[in-house]
Amino acid sequence: MQDEMNHSWDPFLTDRDKAVFKASGFGATGGFGKRPAILVIDINYAFTGERREPILESIKHWSNSCGEDAWDALPHVQKLLEAGRSKGLPVIYTTGVRRPDGWDGGSWLWKNSRGGERKQTRDTQARDGNEINELIAPHPQDIMVYKQKPSGFAGTPLLSYLTLLRADSVIVVGTTTSGCVRATVIDAFSHNFRVAVMEEGCFDRSQASHAINLCDMHAKYADVVSTDTVVDFIDSLPDGLFAATAPQAAE
Amino acid sequence: MTPDRFEDHCWKDAVPQDLIDLYAPYARETFVGPKPALLCIDFYNIVYRGGAKPPLEIQDEHPNTCGMYAHASIEPTKKLIAAARMAGVPIFYCTQDFRPMNRPAGVGSTKRQKVAWKKEDFDIYEPLAPQEGDVVIYKQRASIFQGTPIISHLNYLGVQSLIVCGESTSGCVRASCVDAYSNGFHVSLVEECTFDRHELIHKINLFDLHHKYVDVMHLDEVVQHLGSFSEGKVAAE
Repeated sequence: MQDEMNHSWDPFLTDRDKAVFKASGFGATGGFGKRPAILVIDINYAFTGERREPILESIKHWSNSCGEDAWDALPHVQKLLEAGRSKGLPVIYTTGVRRPDGWDGGSWLWKNSRGGERKQTRDTQARDGNEINELIAPHPQDIMVYKQKPSGFAGTPLLSYLTLLRADSVIVVGTTTSGCVRATVIDAFSHNFRVAVMEEGCFDRSQASHAINLCDMHAKYADVVSTDTVVDFIDSLPDGLFAATAPQAAE
Repeated sequence: MTPDRFEDHCWKDAVPQDLIDLYAPYARETFVGPKPALLCIDFYNIVYRGGAKPPLEIQDEHPNTCGMYAHASIEPTKKLIAAARMAGVPIFYCTQDFRPMNRPAGVGSTKRQKVAWKKEDFDIYEPLAPQEGDVVIYKQRASIFQGTPIISHLNYLGVQSLIVCGESTSGCVRASCVDAYSNGFHVSLVEECTFDRHELIHKINLFDLHHKYVDVMHLDEVVQHLGSFSEGKVAAE
């Protein structure tokens, strides 16, 4: 996103779409909260591949890979994490978890013809696809949420962590924009957290899905914002917002 | 069990008659619901440590032990799990989550003073250990439902009701039973396979759960019901 008037999804919209959004009031700026937590959704080797290569090459090894778009996003995620850690913001990663026998794949196995192949791919490679990409590896104080479904909130303790940390908002990056990012964003919105989606830190295997899902989220659930805007906001926050991690007695 | 035997349980000697009378409107027939799964709550090593003794005598050396109450439940629980296996009922266990970096500071299942536990402390007690095909849920709070994928697993298997056993009655069993009820499941809680650190707290919590949220049932009733599955007497639909 270059500026407020010039969105990455514009080329995908019809003239009527643009007129409807303008007339109906969607896409207003919701604003950042005061106590943001950072959510890094599924930026693991299954979605980035182990090296930068064209997506159709990368998919031969990792069926979920988003190819070069993932590696374009990684430096932006690094900037976000550096800014967030300098202020002590909570950094919460999500990644997948599955039993060795794959039984708990559940509904995933109904919708992907290569679903059963995934385990085999993992087994034949040295690396676990659920390992976070080392370029944005978690630090010891970060939190890992192990999930099995698109939303970081589904079947996980994430909501209780945000409550415990007294977070009022989330800044979201990760993948896929149309899948786990969108599902997590909608659940965060539904729980009345303010949501910022950092556009250059999100990626998808489908270019059209990436753009249209950003458009949908910006219209209804979140502010889709640039890396610079997010970093400026974080830099403006007071130090030590989350210094007391456990609940304290009221003063 | 028929409504006239609704109070025929271990709390009889602990609950005064006026309280029984006050709770008369809760009396009803108890039963095991359709398409059940068995939930085994927190049968991990630490609650069996120190042997079959009063917990107060051994808890300094073995924190969180349930001592004699844990050991008294071993044989009944083996029978219940065996009956569930024979009937082809899905079996779920739960224990403490030890995956790396899994929580912020301050997250635990109770406010008890913290002990530096190891993962082995929370392995399932070997005589009751899960077998291949069972499901183990890793949880951080009291209830097996809180922050876990169990509801999606139950839906995936077509489970429609629950048989529950485990410990502690006042803690994780109670929390799991209330959440199960709140999520729409009929719950049968097996008295002889459920325990706590003190008789009084065990009985009063069973009394509460039985009247308000679940059917507390005896082991022989539940085993007999599960036996009818394997004999093909119950059309599972």
